[in-house]
Amino acid sequence: MSVSPASIEVRDLVVRYGTVAAVRGVTFTVGAGEHLTLLGPSGCGKTTTLRAIAGLERPASGEIRIGGSPVFSSSANVNIPAERRGLSMVFQSYAIWPHMSVFDNVAYGLRVRKRPEAEVTTRVREALDLVQLGDLGARSASKLSGGQQQRVALARAFVFSPSVLLFDEPLSNLDAKLRAEMRVELKELQRRLNITSVYVTHDLEEALAISDRIIVMRDGVIEQVGTPGEIYDRPRNTFVADFVGSANLIRGRRRPDLERDGLVVLETAAGALVHGTAAGRPAGAEALMAVRTVRLRLDLARPAAASVNLWSARIRQRVFQGDFTQYHLDWEGRTLIVRLAAAEPLAEGDEVYVSVDPRYCVLLEE
Amino acid sequence: MSTTPSEGSARARSWWPGPRLVSLLVGGGAAILVLYPIAYLIQASLSVGDPQARPPEAYGLDNFTGLGRYAHILGNTLQVAAVATVLAVMVGFVMGWILSRTNVPGRAAFEQLMALPYYVTPLMGALAWAIIASPSSGYVNQLWRVLGGEGHLIDINSSWGIAWVMALFEGSVAFVMIGAVMKSMDPSMEEASQVLGAGRMRTMLRITLPLVLPGVLGAAVYVFAEMLGSFSAALVLGLPARFYVVTTAMYQLVSQYPPRFPTAAAMGVSLFAVMFAMVWIYRRIISSGTYVTITGKAFRPRVMDVGALRWPFFAICLAYLVVAVILPVLTIVYASFQHLGAVAPRWSNFTLANYATALSLDAVRSALWNSLLLGFATASIGILLMGFLSWLIYRSRLPGAGAIEYILMFPQAVPRLVFAFGMMWAWLVFPIPIYGTLWLLLIAYLTVFLPLGLRTISGVILQIDRSLEESAQMCGATWGYRLRTVTMPLLKPGLVAAWLLLFIASVRELGASILLIGPKSKVITPAIVEAWFSTSTELTAAMALLQTLAVAIALAIMFAVARRAVQAGGE
Repeated sequence: MSVSPASIEVRDLVVRYGTVAAVRGVTFTVGAGEHLTLLGPSGCGKTTTLRAIAGLERPASGEIRIGGSPVFSSSANVNIPAERRGLSMVFQSYAIWPHMSVFDNVAYGLRVRKRPEAEVTTRVREALDLVQLGDLGARSASKLSGGQQQRVALARAFVFSPSVLLFDEPLSNLDAKLRAEMRVELKELQRRLNITSVYVTHDLEEALAISDRIIVMRDGVIEQVGTPGEIYDRPRNTFVADFVGSANLIRGRRRPDLERDGLVVLETAAGALVHGTAAGRPAGAEALMAVRTVRLRLDLARPAAASVNLWSARIRQRVFQGDFTQYHLDWEGRTLIVRLAAAEPLAEGDEVYVSVDPRYCVLLEE
Repeated sequence: MSTTPSEGSARARSWWPGPRLVSLLVGGGAAILVLYPIAYLIQASLSVGDPQARPPEAYGLDNFTGLGRYAHILGNTLQVAAVATVLAVMVGFVMGWILSRTNVPGRAAFEQLMALPYYVTPLMGALAWAIIASPSSGYVNQLWRVLGGEGHLIDINSSWGIAWVMALFEGSVAFVMIGAVMKSMDPSMEEASQVLGAGRMRTMLRITLPLVLPGVLGAAVYVFAEMLGSFSAALVLGLPARFYVVTTAMYQLVSQYPPRFPTAAAMGVSLFAVMFAMVWIYRRIISSGTYVTITGKAFRPRVMDVGALRWPFFAICLAYLVVAVILPVLTIVYASFQHLGAVAPRWSNFTLANYATALSLDAVRSALWNSLLLGFATASIGILLMGFLSWLIYRSRLPGAGAIEYILMFPQAVPRLVFAFGMMWAWLVFPIPIYGTLWLLLIAYLTVFLPLGLRTISGVILQIDRSLEESAQMCGATWGYRLRTVTMPLLKPGLVAAWLLLFIASVRELGASILLIGPKSKVITPAIVEAWFSTSTELTAAMALLQTLAVAIALAIMFAVARRAVQAGGE
């Protein structure tokens, strides 16, 4: 089962449905063997982009190359049909053929390629073992649970060693617990198969867990490209900050007179000074910063270590949510939200010290 | 093993020769099948010269203005259609409500049985009710006189009789439409009303009724449109009493000597225009925004416990099936075994002679054979043609697919008799001599049953998720391979159902056939009607049963073959 993973280049991709442009000029590359995720809310064009790469959607313009050679190019008038692009895909609906057995479903791609039946048998067995369905080959595909269908869809997609594997929200139809399990399995499988993958999801945790790199999309354009860590801690603008988990947005006036060590300093309307990082972004006289709710610290006693970004506040409301507790603070005339994992003895009405490391206060582009 | 995309760049252009060309060809083909006859119908209606001249000597609107003389026929038609529609919608509403919202005994069984009246067909119903209630020899009226009555108790050869027979038939259509609306209504809408303090009556009036009203209205318009174009019951029951509706009057004008084609054509065009408007209204009602009860979610309809009323409701359901199915069928069976129609069974009056006669008549034998042959051909060619068209319309994303669908659904708005009239004229001048042959009937059937086949097959196609085909494509399967391994197997149940429907519909077709048969291309249903008017009632009953029997046998054979094929092909 060895095939070298292929790179993907997408350039100026535009896809229209009638007069509506679903994808409006998207450019990115996926390195050979890389696991890239397209993340965004529904209607952002992520699935359309994926389907254009697959060849299921005909773009209006742009170019798509796989392994260096063009599979679509509006200028060269190239459009290779999906079945000859050498890719494979896992569908959101699984798209398991109900009139075939599990074995026949998985064997399909191999039979299309006219592999000898003996090879088909061994490779389907291997694939089913890999997705832990080894003993279900003879079962009719219509008699499977959602999770099992998901695994069959996976096995069917990789059994014929495609150079690229595309995932269209493959876990969105599973319940939360199964989804968390499959996420781990999927990641393991991805690494074992040595394959290039493009994954589409609207689920942040999924994207963070399985990707080498994430592209956040909105309204058919790319908002930000980066590693999971970058996307999470250094959102480029309010949309990404908002979409990728919860963040506090703090607006203020620049205080260049106080800025040193490469930090940016904002003064809020109420006069609080917030030190943060510019992350190479330009900042005007007015600026906006994002701070993840989990990066803020709360202490009853004044912490000794902090020299900047230390304020006092009052806990207005406490919401226990299991994995974490969310505190709503009255802070400098506005609300600040903090999430703490530990069940610390903080009560509503407590006066606390809020602090945050300046590298987690990130300047946003506006 | 690795299938790199580079191999494709040499033939990188899509294999699809150009969707516009395909859609043009298909659209053109559809236009010829559907619009060509209609064009000729319109041409004939505008012909004001010698009525027999082809092509017309002069054009004008005289035929339409002259229709004033037939105002009483228009009145008849409206009367029959209105009465039948009211009756049918009442049947549909009451049965729909009982069977979807109450705990009447045998609900599930009744729901299945409600399809039966549709299969009895208006022709069978009319024959049976003529035997039961014709003024002179009808069984009911025979009994009435035995009991000392004068004249007749009921007269089926009247507008009420025709409306009655049609309502029994259309009742099951209305039931299907109204029942579907009632079932698809989210019961939480009613529950919300009750939780907010409204009583059961208030809920019914303020919530339930307004919600189902568009559905009921839609059913009424649909049934009314169908009624305007209905033919067979009006022919069998109306002709003896010289009671004409538009379709039978048209038939009379065409088949009399000398025929008055332009007048008939003008009538047909007028009817067509009215029906077209009705179908348009129907579509507007169905697609209007108020029709929100259909959400596509599956609800478990809330079943009301109606207590002791269960049994009266049960009786209502049973009564409908008795008058619409059991009584007509038993009557025809009973009559077919009699020498002379008599309500009281006497041993000496029973005979098999009617069957012997029917089977010995060459005309009947060849008509039956032709019908079965045509049914087989129509169904087999039909599922291929309509399967391809459905796929083209709903799956290929062809430019202009909507327009093609619209044209193909056109025959729905045209009474089959009117359509056949157009075809008669159109194919008379066609360079290939198919007039008077079975080929013409085949083309006619394929055209008039386009909506039926398309609806059945597209219903299945739309249920098949697009990704099932796409995933085959992503596995590298070419178009033909996908069609063979994924699309066709998934479509099989729908195709089998469509085959059966087309077969049954073709063998029993009357309205189009009656104008298009020739001396050498007779089919069975017009032969039955002919026998009704020119030979004995009992012989006609035997022929009608033979037709039903032949359909049943043919279907049984098809089922057996299909099952064997499925077993052989399957795992």
